[in-house]
Formats: sequence, C-alpha cells, structure tokens
Amino acid sequence: MIRRLVVACACLALATLGTGGAAIAADLARGEVLFHYCTQCHGDAGGGSLLARAPAIAGLGEWYLQSQLRKFQSGDRGTHPDDVGGLRMHPMSRLLRSEEDLQAVAAYVASLTPSRPEPVVEGGDSARGAVLYTLCATCHGPEGAGIQAFNAPALRTTNDWYLLAALAKYKVGVRGSNPRNGTAMLMRGMAMQLSDEQAMKDVVAHIMTFADSK
Amino acid sequence: MIESLVPAASSYAADIDALFTLIFVFVGFWLILCEGLFFWLIWRFRKKEGARGQYITGELKSETRWITYPHLLVLVCDLFIVVGAVKVWYDVKQYLPPAEETVRIVSQQWAWTFVHAGPDGLLGTTDDITKVNELHVQVDRTYHYKLESTDVLHSFSVPVFRLKQDAVPGRVITGWFRPTQAGEWDIQCAEICGIGHGLMGARIYIETPAQHAAWLMQESPISIAAVTRTRPAEE
Ligand code: HEC
Ligand code: HEC
Ligand SMILES: [Cu+2]
Repeated sequence: MIRRLVVACACLALATLGTGGAAIAADLARGEVLFHYCTQCHGDAGGGSLLARAPAIAGLGEWYLQSQLRKFQSGDRGTHPDDVGGLRMHPMSRLLRSEEDLQAVAAYVASLTPSRPEPVVEGGDSARGAVLYTLCATCHGPEGAGIQAFNAPALRTTNDWYLLAALAKYKVGVRGSNPRNGTAMLMRGMAMQLSDEQAMKDVVAHIMTFADSK
Repeated sequence: MIESLVPAASSYAADIDALFTLIFVFVGFWLILCEGLFFWLIWRFRKKEGARGQYITGELKSETRWITYPHLLVLVCDLFIVVGAVKVWYDVKQYLPPAEETVRIVSQQWAWTFVHAGPDGLLGTTDDITKVNELHVQVDRTYHYKLESTDVLHSFSVPVFRLKQDAVPGRVITGWFRPTQAGEWDIQCAEICGIGHGLMGARIYIETPAQHAAWLMQESPISIAAVTRTRPAEE
C-alpha cells in the first residue's frame, strides 16, 4: 500500500516538472481558447468588423495588445461617455480574469497573420495624406509598421474606418483626455495637428497604401 | 426576512418586501398543504393484499367539494395579493412625488452613464456632472430619473432599492426613488442586451449630505482646471 502511494507521488511530481517546459506552448493554446471570446466582434481571424465597431487586431504588437488590454481593464481607455466602441470593449477586457490570461490572449493575437482589410472610407487623397504623414512617420514608422520604443502601434494592418474614428476621438478628447493614459494624451496632441476631417481622411488613405505595398 | 439577504435602502423597499412576503406565505401555505395531502393519500391508499383499485369519476358533490372549497379559499388569498400589488404598483410606478433633484440615466452596450445635476441642482446646465458606471445620490432626498437607451433594450435595476425599470430606445422614461440608507451598492442590467450584458454593472453611492457635498466639491466643473487632473476615469 505504502509503496503504491510513493509511486503515485513520484508520478505526480514528475508530471508537474514536465509541464514547466511546455509553458510557452500552453500559453498560445490557452490564448487560442480565450480568443473565442473575441471573435464575435473582432472576427474569426481577428480581421475586424464594422458592424461591431471592432477593429482588426490580428498581428498587432504583443506589447501594444497587452498595454491596451490593461488600459481597458483599468478603465483608463474606453470609459468616456461618448466612446461607443470603447464602452463595448471595456467590459470585454474583464473577461480576462488574470494577468496570465491577458498575456496568453495577447500572445495568440500577436501570432496571427496580420490582416489587410479592404478600404471602405471614401474621399481621401493619399497624395495629400503623404505630406501629412511625414509627422506620423516619426513615431509610427515610414511604412506604418509601428515603433515600440515610442509606444506607437502599427497602423497599416487595421481598418481604415477605425483609424478615422480613432483620430476623430483623439481630436475631440473622447480618447486621450484621461491623465492616467499618457500615450493617448501624447497621440491626442498629434491628432490636433490634423486640421479637419478631410485631413484625417487623406492621411488614412495614405496609410492604406502601405498595406498594399506589403 | 428579505432584508437579511439584501439590504433595503429606498423608501418603497419595505412595501415591496412586505408584498413579496405575503405572496410567499400564501403560496407556501397552499403548496405545503396540497403536497402533504397528496403524499398522505398516496401512503394511505397504497397497494394492499386483497384490496381492488376503484375507478372514481369525481362527479359526486362529496367529491367535487375537494376542488371547490380550496378554490374559493385560494381566491380569497388572491384578493389580498391583488389589493396589495395594485397599491404597491401605484406607489412605485404610477405616483410621482415632487422631485428634489433629477438624474439622467443613459444605458448603452455596455455601460451606464449618469448625468448628475451638479451643485446648482438643475439638470441640463453647465455644471452637470457626467459619470460612467457611477451614480452618486444623497440619502433622504427624492430623485426623479429620466431613463434612456441609445441602442437596445436594457433594464435599470438597483437591488437595494427593489427597483427595476426597462429602458427602451427612443423613449425617455421617468420614475422616482428616495434613498434611505447610506452605503455603496450594485446597479445591474436586468434585460439581456448582448454579449456584454452580464458585465454591465455599475455602482450606486448613497451619501450623507456631508459626503455628497464633498463629492460635489471634488467634481464641480467650477474648479474644472484643478479637477481634470484628479478626476478618475475621464477617458
Ligand atoms: C463585444 C464586442 C467585442 C468583444 C467580444 C471584444 N472586443 Fe475588443 N474591441 C471592441 C471594440 C468595439 C473596440 C474598439 C474600441 C475603440 O473604438 O476604441 C475594441 C478594441 C480592441 C483593442 C484595441 C485595438 C487598437 O487598435 O487599439 C484590442 C487590443 C482588443 N479590442 C482586444 C480584444 C480581445 C483580446 C478580446 C477577447 C478577449 C476582445 N477584444 C473582445 C469590441 C469587442
Ligand atoms: C509622438 C509620437 C506619435 C506621433 C508623431 C503620432 N503618433 Fe499616433 N500614436 C502614438 C502613440 C503613443 C499611440 C498609442 C496611443 C494610445 O495608447 O492610445 C498612437 C496611436 C495612434 C492611433 C490609434 C491606433 C489604434 O490602434 O488604436 C492612430 C490612428 C494614430 N496614432 C495615428 C497617427 C497619425 C495619423 C499620426 C500623424 C498625424 C500620428 N499618429 C502621429 C504616437 C504618435
Ligand atoms: Cu444592458
């Protein structure tokens, strides 16, 4: 009887040791399971849905995904009364019950093939946008791939309607007026440089040309 | 009885609890009596050696009495319940006591926005205080609410008030409440409104006059320059 117990204990100990090596793989597997929460709005492949106002997130930087999910959870993003999209995402971020879950889903979303959504916004002039984009390139990179050192996310893999909506939100302060969200405040200052909606459409049209060249 | 499970913090909570208890007692009495009788009959007339089963059509007066008497007694109970229910319904939903203050409540997928009247006590003025998922009210003060929805059906539910009111897109629904006990409790959505329904929670802060004045001081846009720096969850 005692011998059997000892053997059982040894087996258990071995089993727990064994899982250590598989931690990273398990992370992605867990992330894939958790991602089922997200597909309803962000699409099966994370390609975004205009109907749900949820942008393409597939292939965004893991650091950016983590930072935004944390901001949604704490309410630093997505709790302005006029932020229709943000108010929807804010409760969803709380489906991630632990830091491990948050990291797992961020890792999984980052590992997805970046999407290249079809442009739907009309009336933008990408040539004029190219001039405006010189400012943006400092932080978001010349090809809109994002630069982690500046906390600036990739722009070319998300939907043009979302980019336009985000810029408009920054400009009026629906995003970027919360003092606890420093990166958004910074970006708000940049959106202020775009004089009107036409300028926003132009720069967004230019960003969409990056997606083509990729 | 119910108060020991969920605190009661509105002027009409006790009436609703009393009605609930009345229904509970009547229904419970009949349930236990009927089930008791059934089980006793099953036991009393169980299969016995040599006793044949009997086919009863239930048409004799002595048999129909088993239905008509309890039926009449249940109707008497119903009378009490109906009178009580109409009275409570009238007090809570039909009668509107004069408001000392009004709060605008906007529901949307998946958040509650509360527009408080601010220091001047008037809604629709520049000193209104808008908060997401936070309702601040003062104890012993009669409030009207103007309930709206921007997208689908929601239901404004405050368990400690025993209050539940549907929000319907395109309509502004007026109701009232009067908090009677200071504290911090849940607000929830009680109408399935999409994937985030279960996460559509908010908090109600029922404050003493002193606490409420302090909150107003802190939030008042008169000192907006200083306030925007300390104001939580503004984005
Ligand atoms: C109910 C729909 C819904 C669900 C479910 C949902 N989201 Fe979102 N999500 C949104 C919306 C709407 C936005 C846009 C917010 C805005 O406009 O600022 C968003 C934004 C985001 C962003 C920010 C993107 C950016 O470019 O800044 C991330 C990251 C994100 N969601 C991740 C997730 C993850 C991970 C899940 C699953 C755990 C998830 N979402 C589930 C609706 C949803
Ligand atoms: C000083 C660096 C900087 C410059 C210059 C800058 N950005 Fe940003 N941008 C950021 C940062 C940081 C963020 C992340 C903001 C946050 O956390 O909300 C951001 C976010 C964005 C977003 C939201 C992305 C998303 O997925 O939600 C858009 C759209 C955007 N920038 C467009 C622009 C455009 C267009 C320009 C040029 C007019 C520009 N940015 C210039 C730093 C910059
Ligand atoms: Cu709801």
